[in-house]
Amino acid sequence: MIAFTVNGERRELDEASPSMPLLWVLRDQLKLTGTKFGCGMGLCGACTVHLDGVAVRSCQLPLAAVAGHSITTIEGLSPTQNHPLQVAWVAEDVPQCGYCQSGQIMSAAALLNTGAAVTDDSIRNAMSGNICRCGTYGRINKAIKRAANAPKEA
Amino acid sequence: MNRIDDSRIELPRRVFLKQAATVASGLAIALYLPGGIAATDPKAPTPAREFEPNAWVRVLPDGTVKLVVHKHDSGTGTQTALAACVAEELDVNPMTVQVITPEDPFFESYIHPVWKVFSTGGSTSVSLEYERLRMAGATARALLITAAAQQWKVRPDSCTTEDGRVLHAASKRSLGYGELAGVAATLPAPANVTLKDPAQFKYIGKLRHKRDAAAKVCGRFQYSIDVQLPDMLVAVIERAPVIGAKVLSVDSTAALQVPGVRQVLAVPGRPDVLGGNLEGVAVLADTFWAAQEGRKVLTIQWSDSPLAGFDSDRLSGAQAKAIGDSNTQTVKAMAHGDVSGQWPGAAQLLEADYTMPYKVQNPLEPICITAQVKDNAITYWGGVQVPSMALEAAQTVCAINKANVTIHERVSGGSFGAREAKYWLFEVAFLAQKTGVPVKLLNSREDEMHALFNHPATLHRVKGALDAHGQLSALQLHAVSPASPEQWEPGYFQRPDHMDYSTTEAITAWDFAYRPPHLDLNWVKHESQVPSGWYRSVSFIPNVFAVESFMDELAHAAGQDPLVFRLANMHERPRHVTVLKQAAERAGWGKPLPAGTALGIATNQGYSSFIAVVARVATVDGKAKVEQLTCVVDCGLAVSPGGVEEQIYGGLMWGLGHALYDRLDIKQGRVVQSNFHDYRVPRMADMPTTDILVLDGEPGKPGGVGELGSPSVVPAIANALFALTGVRQRSTPLNLG
Repeated sequence: MIAFTVNGERRELDEASPSMPLLWVLRDQLKLTGTKFGCGMGLCGACTVHLDGVAVRSCQLPLAAVAGHSITTIEGLSPTQNHPLQVAWVAEDVPQCGYCQSGQIMSAAALLNTGAAVTDDSIRNAMSGNICRCGTYGRINKAIKRAANAPKEA
Repeated sequence: MNRIDDSRIELPRRVFLKQAATVASGLAIALYLPGGIAATDPKAPTPAREFEPNAWVRVLPDGTVKLVVHKHDSGTGTQTALAACVAEELDVNPMTVQVITPEDPFFESYIHPVWKVFSTGGSTSVSLEYERLRMAGATARALLITAAAQQWKVRPDSCTTEDGRVLHAASKRSLGYGELAGVAATLPAPANVTLKDPAQFKYIGKLRHKRDAAAKVCGRFQYSIDVQLPDMLVAVIERAPVIGAKVLSVDSTAALQVPGVRQVLAVPGRPDVLGGNLEGVAVLADTFWAAQEGRKVLTIQWSDSPLAGFDSDRLSGAQAKAIGDSNTQTVKAMAHGDVSGQWPGAAQLLEADYTMPYKVQNPLEPICITAQVKDNAITYWGGVQVPSMALEAAQTVCAINKANVTIHERVSGGSFGAREAKYWLFEVAFLAQKTGVPVKLLNSREDEMHALFNHPATLHRVKGALDAHGQLSALQLHAVSPASPEQWEPGYFQRPDHMDYSTTEAITAWDFAYRPPHLDLNWVKHESQVPSGWYRSVSFIPNVFAVESFMDELAHAAGQDPLVFRLANMHERPRHVTVLKQAAERAGWGKPLPAGTALGIATNQGYSSFIAVVARVATVDGKAKVEQLTCVVDCGLAVSPGGVEEQIYGGLMWGLGHALYDRLDIKQGRVVQSNFHDYRVPRMADMPTTDILVLDGEPGKPGGVGELGSPSVVPAIANALFALTGVRQRSTPLNLG
């Protein structure tokens, strides 16, 4: 049995393989499908969740590694689904196909969690592990600044 | 549809749909329906209270308005833009009404007006559907007004509409569309309808948001990969590593011992079908993870293949030999004058070869489709960009006819041409029929990289003559490329001109920008046996790279400014000239630049739209860097201006990828790259600053924009790098030093 917390709720999994990546535990066992599969190698960021508040790629994290830890997924980022980033994402109309956006928002939320200054550089550093094929990078930058209430890029 | 047997009319509920004979624009509305049966036809069952005046509008008695969008949305904003076309004329808010996908994707009205198949693509959704969707909305509105006017005993032209209600201002009365639905449903089709004056538009040309953002930011939005059905199995397929290889033996013992793995099935290849799937071995399991674990321990012996010696590094050599080879078909795309007569007396003669490698679409949501075959009917769940291909798979693989094909369509996580391939539809149809349970086929990223139906590697040889005054007297192009997937359509090459319009983009009379006195543009049809797929911007990418780079080479050889040289060779192309001049001005063309900085310019036309791109590059820490992309776009009417800007930004990003990263290698018949570590795509840190200006184009007609943005980026960057370094680069990805 492996126990951990997902979105504030304690979960105990009896039958899951300890080597199964967290991504598939979330999607297939816990039916939390907001976290997406993109590459399976931790290269695209679509599967980004928080492990104790820090952004991790869930496709690279075996279930055994999360035992006793706290996981936050896009579904649990805000109980009312109006985290400042989600509000900003809608205000800036960020998503196109939207497939990468759960991961993008979780990476952005981890950046805000650090309390670091939100600048073009810190955004680029925090977000360059997340691939968007539609091309929403410009609006993601704006939305993060909007959420952080930071001054807009000159 | 929905398991109606063949002896019955295929689309029973649709015969009630009404059509207006004409609209004020004079455009016949015959596209709607084949002479429908009137609602009063005694053979017709009692019509529903739901008001369904045509294929795109549904009004329920409770006031619910549903607009049907019959085009696939892969993140392009199609749903919002098309809904807006209907909603504008119907006078409802496109952001708040329900938008649904067709109950019957094979209903005649939804056929692509040019291609005559059920498909989305070619940047045509808004440009080709704009008028008839507006007419659909206007026809519905006219009937609702008539229904209200009859009830109030007033003239219809004394009534107006506003946000889902018919109003009669003089008597201060109003009725909601839902209250009028029942009566409107019994009215005959209007003789003609009047479209709105564009000056009165509330939504078209004004939309800044898309409909589905809220669901997409909280993980609620359901993609193909999220389909869950009882008894569903998830399938992965180990496909032939080399095209044409066949399975000699499979040992599935270990795979079947992996917990969760249920079946291992051989998937027959379909070399008999153009675009058909390769041979493969499928692992079906309770979850994708289990299926992948099982796949890892499969032991498959593959046969040799004639393609085992194929090496993409050697392809350009073979392509060069095809030029002028009497065994290779050469098709004239555009020609006038006598180019070869100009070579001997030319003051300067230039010749150059440009090459581009294979490129992969890589939508972030890998190919995913669920299907179930039951009672001789097939149901698909997922993003189906080309319903005609889902139908072909059903007919070819399962012998299931059109009436028994159902599609539960979903927005997909990107396509870029990947979802216009058919191999995966054939595979899932086979697995669904074989198992009888719902089967969800999901590609891994490695599968996407190896899928092969992607952008072909090409070689372009260009030759040009300058006279003693530095004027361009002759230009010749041989574009060596395989035929596009257009050839999948039966009889495509039976036309007398043997032209493949998707391989000759930007080099035909209607979209080639330059008019030197002597011109000869050719497509050399060179097939390598590696199949091509659809890919965003298709042949514009290599054709524009070659032409716009070569124009730059000619300008420098002539000692002229590349912008001035281009303008001098354009005749009667006011929209092209405007975007070029404006982009140059915005980017500071001709003005002093900081040391170690240079500009390059390029332009293309396509999908009835025009773009010019200026790239600014600079030397940073000894390497060249793309600092800024400036572009000016004229796409006529921008139905959704926010959506247009997104498509252009995405196009610029794709162009940056083509210029600097995209490259798929094939060695000994096998794809070399496997995931994003060895096949790079642009990330946020790679993006230069962008400056996008969308001009207020002619209000009448929207042009396409989805594929407009990328082609000029590659030559703009290459031209800027030449200006910066003095080194001309003719192969992508370009080297930044």
